[in-house]
Amino acid sequence: MWFWIIVAIVIIAVIAYLAATYNRLVKANVAIDEGYSQIEVQLKRRADLIPNLVSTVKGYAAHESGTLEKVTAAREASQSASGLQQVSAADGALTQALRGLLAVAEAYPDLKASANFLSLQEELSSTENKIAFARQYYNDSVRSLNTAIVTIPSKFFVGIAGVHAREFYVVPDAADRNAPTVQF
Amino acid sequence: MALEFRAQQSANRRKTWLLLGLMFIALIAVIWAVGTIFHFGGLWLFPMAVGISLIGVWVSYWNSDTLVLTMTGARLIGHDDAPQLYNLVEEVALAAGIPMPRVAIVDDPAPNAFATGRDPDHAVIAFTSGILQVMDREQLQGVAAHELAHVANRDTLVMAVAATTAGLLAIVADMGLRATLFSRRGSDNNPVAQILALVAIVLAPLAALLLRAAISRKRESLADATAVQFTRNPTGLRRALETLAADTTVVRHTSNAVAHVWIESPLDGKNKSMFDTHPPLSQRINLLRAMEGLPPSPS
Repeated sequence: MWFWIIVAIVIIAVIAYLAATYNRLVKANVAIDEGYSQIEVQLKRRADLIPNLVSTVKGYAAHESGTLEKVTAAREASQSASGLQQVSAADGALTQALRGLLAVAEAYPDLKASANFLSLQEELSSTENKIAFARQYYNDSVRSLNTAIVTIPSKFFVGIAGVHAREFYVVPDAADRNAPTVQF
Repeated sequence: MALEFRAQQSANRRKTWLLLGLMFIALIAVIWAVGTIFHFGGLWLFPMAVGISLIGVWVSYWNSDTLVLTMTGARLIGHDDAPQLYNLVEEVALAAGIPMPRVAIVDDPAPNAFATGRDPDHAVIAFTSGILQVMDREQLQGVAAHELAHVANRDTLVMAVAATTAGLLAIVADMGLRATLFSRRGSDNNPVAQILALVAIVLAPLAALLLRAAISRKRESLADATAVQFTRNPTGLRRALETLAADTTVVRHTSNAVAHVWIESPLDGKNKSMFDTHPPLSQRINLLRAMEGLPPSPS
């Protein structure tokens, strides 16, 4: 009697352990998809803020049209990008163009003092932070899945769970990685 | 900084479970002690104890958001009421991978903040009006990260369990003590067991309080480490704690029931004590300084 109870407990424990391992892989995979969709949401938010920013800057600094056009072009490129590599490349290019625009804005005290510009600046720098954090969450999730895929015991469940190693979201521009603390 | 915060996280988690385990053992010991003194104890005391415990956990944990909001007089805000604050909470929520919590402001000049709620879907994060005045964006982001770390680590649940176990121990021990003092029912029992039981009854509630405070301190350290995991920036939180250390005002809505939820404890005294709900600010600051690669603070 006792023997069978112990056998049953051991079998249940083993099944629970295997199920937990399988679930961890599936959950890690879902977390990656969620992380990616958050990046997309924030990139879209930034793209939505840009026309407003461009028109505000134009009002005070009309002859900076070259910088403004760069931003508009980078925004358009980012909206037609698809697939992780294109999206991340366009993301990096747009970040660069925006930095250029905000650096130009430094030279116009009236612009810098306008309430509209200040609130846009806060929204834009917060969105930049959100993109960075969404990226960090995504890459952390990718790292934990990719580690689980090559380590025991989760390694044996890769086939059943239908997961595969995922791609990191790499910011292509080296300058962008070196300057994460730029204050807009 | 490397991955130091991860090592600290797992050490703090292990210690939490150890302390919760110790509290449970203390509870069993008191029930045994009460049972030894009255012959009939064991059978009915335990289910009753568990019953009280479950009700306590359920009420304080399930309604923690509304309860604490009412007790502290916090009012909920939206994006347009305080865009910068709302934005930076949103940033940290993204870093933590949890849903956007509700944001509230407590009208109180003392700089402080707290988070509560039964799970990440019902979380509330609150800031005093004082903290919004004395801290810059980076510091507030550190504070938000500390608070959302409590949410992500389910500390409302951990502390509800700890508080209920401690309270329950006190009730059972009190019942046992009264029964021992006012009845001679157990006089024919083994005297050694009687004395041991009495000692257990007297000491257990005290031990429970100490363990509860110790668990709270571990969760605070864990939240600091998790905050760094979210922002990858120990500097913001460290600077925020330094501002709190320099400040001497204390939040007005101080009560035992909500003391442990604040980032800086409103009740802990100047000197370090085993009953403190938070580790000393200087110790927390130095741990963060170590993550930044800085030497310990001289003061």
